Amino acid sequence: MGILHTFWNSPIGPKTTHFWGPVVGWSIPIAALADSKKPPELISGNMTTVMCVYSALFMRFAYMVRPRNYHLLVCHVANESVQLYQLSRWARARGHSQKKDEDAGGA
Amino acid sequence: MAASKLQALWNHPAGPKTIHFWAPTFKWGISIANVADFSKPPEKLSYPQQIAVTCTGIIWSRYSTVITPKNWNLFSVNVAMATTGLYQLSRKIRHDYFSEPEAAVANDD
Repeated sequence: MGILHTFWNSPIGPKTTHFWGPVVGWSIPIAALADSKKPPELISGNMTTVMCVYSALFMRFAYMVRPRNYHLLVCHVANESVQLYQLSRWARARGHSQKKDEDAGGA
Repeated sequence: MAASKLQALWNHPAGPKTIHFWAPTFKWGISIANVADFSKPPEKLSYPQQIAVTCTGIIWSRYSTVITPKNWNLFSVNVAMATTGLYQLSRKIRHDYFSEPEAAVANDD
């Protein structure tokens, strides 16, 4: 009961934008998770690379901003993970298609 | 006089010596990547991703004005995200729902 009370009244709790900002921010890693089930040809190399750097920077930001925002931090850790995964899928698919072009050229 | 103004900016609590500057500055990359993707065919755009980018942009514009320090750089970058996200969404929706002849041909395949 006490922990709920603490959470409810927290400076980064559900009565504040510091809570709802990260809640909406979860939409980005969740979208990436949904996209990870789709073929890798649909992945945007531009956007995914940017997302990887972006979440790395914002992990630090979430830690340094006042009030300190662990919710945001966790959100960006999750996003970093899924974006890196998507980036690896994109790179692998690109490697395959480049190899296919080379093979076709050589044949 | 200009020197002291520059110095003030340089030493600002959300200035270039801090993460409060670089994180939002880099976030422009998302909108720039989105602008680069304006030339991508709409079939390749992702609804989940663009909806996420748009909604985050909108909510975070508000967030930037209530954190400490207040961050107008973050505010403007989120406005840009919401705008580019909305544009990408409009492109995809227009393609999927309002280009009837192409859609009919695609369904016949």
